[in-house]
Amino acid sequence: MRETAFKDVLRAFAATLIAVLVYSLAGSATPGLLVVFNAFTVVVLYFSIRRGEVFGALLGTMCGLVQDAFSIGVFGVAGLTKTLLGFWTGYVSRRIDVAPFGRSALFMLVMSVLEMILWVVITAVVRLESVNLHGGLLLVQPLVTAVLAGSLFVLERRIRKRSARGG
Amino acid sequence: MAFWEKRRSALVLAGLTFFHIVLISVQVPRGAEKSLFERSIFFLFSPVQRAATGIVRGAGSLWNGYFDLRRVRADNLKLRREAFFLSQDVRYLQDRLVLRSSEEELQRNLAEFRGSVVAARTIGVDSANPYQSIVIDKGSLDGIAANMAVCDRFGRLVGRTIQPVSLKESMVQLVTDKDSSVSVISAVDGLTGTMTGLSRPVCELRYVLASAAGGQPGEELLTTGFDKIYPPGIRVGAIQSLAPDEASPVFRRIIVTPYFRFNTLDVVAVLTKGPGGGG
Repeated sequence: MRETAFKDVLRAFAATLIAVLVYSLAGSATPGLLVVFNAFTVVVLYFSIRRGEVFGALLGTMCGLVQDAFSIGVFGVAGLTKTLLGFWTGYVSRRIDVAPFGRSALFMLVMSVLEMILWVVITAVVRLESVNLHGGLLLVQPLVTAVLAGSLFVLERRIRKRSARGG
Repeated sequence: MAFWEKRRSALVLAGLTFFHIVLISVQVPRGAEKSLFERSIFFLFSPVQRAATGIVRGAGSLWNGYFDLRRVRADNLKLRREAFFLSQDVRYLQDRLVLRSSEEELQRNLAEFRGSVVAARTIGVDSANPYQSIVIDKGSLDGIAANMAVCDRFGRLVGRTIQPVSLKESMVQLVTDKDSSVSVISAVDGLTGTMTGLSRPVCELRYVLASAAGGQPGEELLTTGFDKIYPPGIRVGAIQSLAPDEASPVFRRIIVTPYFRFNTLDVVAVLTKGPGGGG
């Protein structure tokens, strides 16, 4: 059991590195991209569905805290919201069938909308400010994030099919 | 053990949620030093950001390099011509300065100036809101510390360095951040106030009395140096609009457009010997 937990921590760390990489590439291309999608959320959604609620919560904590470390805001806000996102995404996905693309994208859209609402509320309470919506662009973020995370599953399925055919 | 197995998920969630609530609580109200934990995470992951940006820039410059090579000959001739005239200008200005101060003093001032600017590249933008902060690829090993003024390539104010400052990376608070304050003066009418960010593309000039005359849209704002962080005379932005403040009859509501643009932030200059740099 200890070995599994250790492997999970290592996997979560590797997944967080991937998120940082995607976030850095998007930010260096154009800062506006960081408003349109959240690389950390994409990674948390994808791996939570794949590996369940405990891993999702752990990964959410890591990704959220790293996102917080790269922001001037209060440290821990994204950590908390992503922990809850990872946990509930993993938990619910074990109880309903989210295999088809449409259903998984819709499920992830609902989860990322809930995460964003929670993030906006906590930020408003902690920083005593309204969140900058970037002219409404921020509202697109859950949709783009869900589509990107859903596409990862489609991509994964295609790769598996192709390798099964090859084998 | 059976209890742990049965309630593992719930216990993990409860533990992590509790940890985050404690983490957030210790920082409220804001203004406390960055925790060692936060600095460690920044220290650990900022090199990844640096590497990713390096790869993208490398690929981009390889592509551009090919096209640039074709323009280089024409540019070279043009630059030689410009360099000739600029060297004449420098000589003329040096002569004029020598009239005002001794040569020794002049050399000392110039040497101080040369050592006070550290050029840095932007490797990241704030993950929550791009108008709050950026990450640059210079850190304490390059002589960077907190509270040093940062300008863009045109010498316009961008912000100041803040914690966390790691060995080779540091965070810069932009003037557009909600918690940023810069003491400024308008170039024509001398309106003095504090420019505060709104975490969006515009800022607000605060504490200008409603009775203060002057100020017009387009008027330039310069740093005063009163805040002991930003050296005086740096261009910050221009007044966008002036109106009576509905919330307070005592002050005017002045909206400011900062000069810096994200597309010119690839290279920035950190002023290490300004009032905030301890020099």
